[in-house]
Amino acid sequence: MEKNGHILTISGVTKTFDGVRALDDVSFSIRSGDIKALIGPNGAGKTTLLNAVSGLNPPTNGSVLLEGRDVVGLRTDQIASLGMSRTFQLIRLFTINNATVLDNVLLGAHMHLKPTLFGTIFLRRKIKRQEREITQKAMDLLKLVGLEKDAHAFPGELSFGNQRLLELARALMTDPKMLLLDEPASGLNDTEVEEFTRLLMTIKQQGITILIVEHNMKLVMNIADDIVVLDFGRKLAEGPPSAICANPDVIQAYLGVQSTECGVPL
Amino acid sequence: MNTLKRYWWLILLAAIAVYPVIGKPSPYRSGLLIFAGIYIILAVGLDLLMGYTGQISVGHAAFFAVGAYTSGILTAKYGFSPSAAMGVGVVFSATLAFLTGRPVLALKEYYLAMATLAFNEIVVTLIIGFEGLTGGASGLRDIPPFTIFGFSLLNHLHYYYFVWTVVVLVIASALAVVRSPFGRALIAIHSDEQAARSFGVNCAKYKTRAYMLAAVYASIAGSLFAHYMGFIAPDDFGILTSINLLVMLFLGGIGTIFGPALGALFLKLLPEITYQFQDYELLINGIILIVVLVFFPRGLFGIFTALRNKIVPRMGK
Repeated sequence: MEKNGHILTISGVTKTFDGVRALDDVSFSIRSGDIKALIGPNGAGKTTLLNAVSGLNPPTNGSVLLEGRDVVGLRTDQIASLGMSRTFQLIRLFTINNATVLDNVLLGAHMHLKPTLFGTIFLRRKIKRQEREITQKAMDLLKLVGLEKDAHAFPGELSFGNQRLLELARALMTDPKMLLLDEPASGLNDTEVEEFTRLLMTIKQQGITILIVEHNMKLVMNIADDIVVLDFGRKLAEGPPSAICANPDVIQAYLGVQSTECGVPL
Repeated sequence: MNTLKRYWWLILLAAIAVYPVIGKPSPYRSGLLIFAGIYIILAVGLDLLMGYTGQISVGHAAFFAVGAYTSGILTAKYGFSPSAAMGVGVVFSATLAFLTGRPVLALKEYYLAMATLAFNEIVVTLIIGFEGLTGGASGLRDIPPFTIFGFSLLNHLHYYYFVWTVVVLVIASALAVVRSPFGRALIAIHSDEQAARSFGVNCAKYKTRAYMLAAVYASIAGSLFAHYMGFIAPDDFGILTSINLLVMLFLGGIGTIFGPALGALFLKLLPEITYQFQDYELLINGIILIVVLVFFPRGLFGIFTALRNKIVPRMGK
C-alpha cells in the first residue's frame, strides 16, 4: 500500500478451465482509496477475476499482491482476514436456522472475533460483552444502508435491492481495506441506483478501496476513478473514464457506437 | 407472560426434579428416564453437527461406543475410577474426532453419509475383533456402577438425578454454542460454505470443532450408559443406533436443540404407551412417526412452539 500507493497489484493473472483461457495474462493495480471499475461484455472474465483475487477460485498463474503480500495460494478465509471483503453477483445470504438480517451482518465480524469452543462455553460474560459491542456496530451499518427496521426480519423477506444492500452491510462489517463488488447494481431501479451511488461515495470517503464489476455505465462513469476493460479474458484497455469512453477498441467491443452513458458529465 | 415464554424450560426442569418424589417410580420407570436422558445427550450433540453445521453423520453411535468401551474397559479391567475413565473417554473421543474430522468432513452429502456409516462399522468391527480387551461379540461384563467422590450411584434415583444433571449441562452448553458467534459461523457453513469462507470462516476447522463437541457429548453418554448397564455389547452401538438418533432428530425438529431432545424423550418413552398393542407395537410406532413427519415437518418441537405461541400472546418480533 505504501509502495506506489497501490493497495492491490495483479500481475500476469491467467486462469484456464479445461484448456479454455478465461483470464489471459491480466495485469493492473489499484491505488489505495480509489474506486476502480472492471467492465466488459458478458463472459469476459470479470467474475473469474474477482474469484481469483478473493481466493474462491485461485488463478492458474500470476500473482495478486494485497498490500505487497502475494495472496495466491492462501485460503479464501485467510485472504478475507487480510482485509478483503466482497459481495456476490448472485446474492448469497445466510438463511438456515432462521438466521436474521442482523445475524448476517454479525457474521461479518467473525474474522475479528475468531470464536473458540472453549471461550464460547466457559467465558460467557466476555462473549456477551463482545456480542453487545458488535450488535451496536451491526445496527449502525444497517442504518447506513437503510435496513435498520428490518434487522430482525429474515433475508428472504427483503426486496432484491435490499438483499444487495444487506450483502454490502455484511461486507462492511469486516472492516475491509478493500471491497470487491460483483454487479451490485444489477436489478436495482433508477432511484435505488442513485442511492447506491451515494452510498459508495460514503464508503470511499471512509478510505475503503473498491473494485467494482458493473454493467450500469452511468453508475460506473459517476463513481470510477479508473476503469479496466476486459474482453475475452484479456485486458483491452485501462485508464480514467474519459479516456475509456473515447477509446475506439472499447467502443467496438463493449460500449457500442450509440453509447449515451459516456455523455454523462464527469 | 413473556417471562413464561422465555423460561418455560424451568417448568420442565422442575418436573424432572420432582417427578421421582411425587411419582415414586419403580426402578424400571426411572431406568426408562435414565435411557431417555442418555439418548438426549447423544441427540443434542448430533443436532449441533447436523442441524446447525449441516454435516450429516450416519455413524454417531461410534463415539457412543468409544465412550462406553473406554469407561467399561478401564474400570472393569484396570481399576480406574468411573469418573476418571469417563474423562479418558472424553479425551480419547475428542482426539479421534479431531484426527478423523478433517478428511471425513471434507466430503459432502452422500459421500459424507457413507464415510460416517463406514466409521461406525469400523469401530464396531474393531470392538468385536479385539476380543481380549473388549469381550468381543459376547460383550463386556462386570462394569462397576458410577461413583463420584467415593459415593456410589447404585441407587436408581441417585443415578437418575446424576444423568439428568448431565443432560441439563449438555443442553445449556449446546445452547451457549448455538447462540454465539461460534454458532453463527456453524450456521453460515450450513447455509453456504463458500460465502462463509469469504467472511473469514475457516470451514474445515469449525466443522471439526462441531464434530469434536458432538463426539465428546456422545462419549459422556457412552460412559453413563456403560456404568448404568454394567454390561455392554457391540449391538448397542451399531448402525441401527445411529439411524435411531437420526429419527429422533427429525421427529423432534432438527436444528433447534430442544427438538432432538424432545424427539429422544418421545421415542424412548413411546413403547411405554404402545406396548399394550402387543403384536402391533412396531406398527403403531411407525404410524406415529409417519404422521408426525408428514403433517408436522418441523417436528414435535414445531408443534410445541406453535401451541406455546397460541397460548402465550405473540410478542413483537
